[in-house]
Amino acid sequence: MPHAPDQDIRVKGASPPSAETFENQILSLVPSLRRYSRSLAKSDSDGEDLLQDCVEKVLVRRSQWRGVNLRSWAFTIMTNLYRDRYRRVTQHPSVEFNDTLGLTAEDVSGDPLEKTRLHRALNALSPDHRSVLMLVAIEGYGYQDVADMLAIPIGTVMSRLSRARRQMAAHLAENNIVTLRRPK
Amino acid sequence: MTDAHKPVTEADLHAYVDGFLDEERRRAVELWMSEHPQEEAEVRQWQAQAAELQAAFSGYAQSSERDRMLLSTAATPSSPSPWRKTALIAASLTLFLSGTAVGVYGERLLASPVTIETATALDNLPGQSKTAYLVYASEKRHPVEVGADQQEHLVTWLGKRLDYKLVAPDLKGLGFSLVGGRLLPVNGKAGAMLMYQDTAGQRLTVLLGKNPENAETSFRFESTGSLETFYWIDGSIGYAVTGEVSRARLQQIAEECYRQFET
Repeated sequence: MPHAPDQDIRVKGASPPSAETFENQILSLVPSLRRYSRSLAKSDSDGEDLLQDCVEKVLVRRSQWRGVNLRSWAFTIMTNLYRDRYRRVTQHPSVEFNDTLGLTAEDVSGDPLEKTRLHRALNALSPDHRSVLMLVAIEGYGYQDVADMLAIPIGTVMSRLSRARRQMAAHLAENNIVTLRRPK
Repeated sequence: MTDAHKPVTEADLHAYVDGFLDEERRRAVELWMSEHPQEEAEVRQWQAQAAELQAAFSGYAQSSERDRMLLSTAATPSSPSPWRKTALIAASLTLFLSGTAVGVYGERLLASPVTIETATALDNLPGQSKTAYLVYASEKRHPVEVGADQQEHLVTWLGKRLDYKLVAPDLKGLGFSLVGGRLLPVNGKAGAMLMYQDTAGQRLTVLLGKNPENAETSFRFESTGSLETFYWIDGSIGYAVTGEVSRARLQQIAEECYRQFET
């Protein structure tokens, strides 16, 4: 189950009822879409770009939504957009990908070196592995849900998850950085 | 009951990490792991990873004043047109310029690129320390600008440039005495290097650089060939100790430095 409660809907102004309902539903999903986009992107600005593209696409494709689980549908659109972008960027290396190592919006651990290390390991993952890891570890989706969302067999979900976790662990170890207790 | 005796698969281990197992199965997996320490270590690693990821990104699950604008700009009929992007950029720029218009979360999101640069700069600390060591520790005639004979002048001078009450740690208990120090750029700003050597002439350097914002990190280690570096950030200063000594020995030295440096 998704573990982060989505933000409350703040309704302002009046639009046609049906569209308004849809838009308000989307609006209530924006926080978790923002978290997902940021967890896929290499920087805050890339994350916001991806979020914008996703919201646009969701609205344009409104008629294609079958009326169930809007959240999963939007996450699928985001994942596909992310893969397409990534492919474009790698095919045209002249397009500069913002390589800055992003920090979180909220400084949780207070250890910038730790975050740099984490983001590096993440940026080394392929988009397919990264999206599966994020959908499971951060967005809280079940393995079958992820399989349905990405239209891949559950076995593929499991092997991508394994690979992502092992690659992350290996990459973190490769940095040859050991965290030690402070002596004070 | 029969469920508890099913062989534990790798899928079970992931489900354990992700909290998808029922109580009974979870216990069965724990029992199995207690007999398979190697797998258990890996699972613990995955758990730590997941917690780290959640901590790193949970802060982004916030509403922002820009959310409604995201929708209104995107909702305009006709598919993606250049002006819409431009409008969006212009709108976010306006928000960026008029700080008050940005919501609490929006402001934080907009403000974070500043910290990104910080992270990149900090990331260079061990690298800069290694370079300084390689350049100066092998220097015969001028390893330092100001020698240990003028220690008081040295710490006052460098401390002033760093805007920090610098002390030169006394490492005699560990067999190293101060050679002196020099001013050098760290992260593009004035930084300081202190050099020590033991009776055999083995040298080590301590690099201090200004940290753009207050932070506190754990100790980190990096090795390149026979060169070992310890680094950490404490308050407004980033520190890195580099030498061609064993990791254990350098850790002792770094801990001693940490104890003696003021924050």
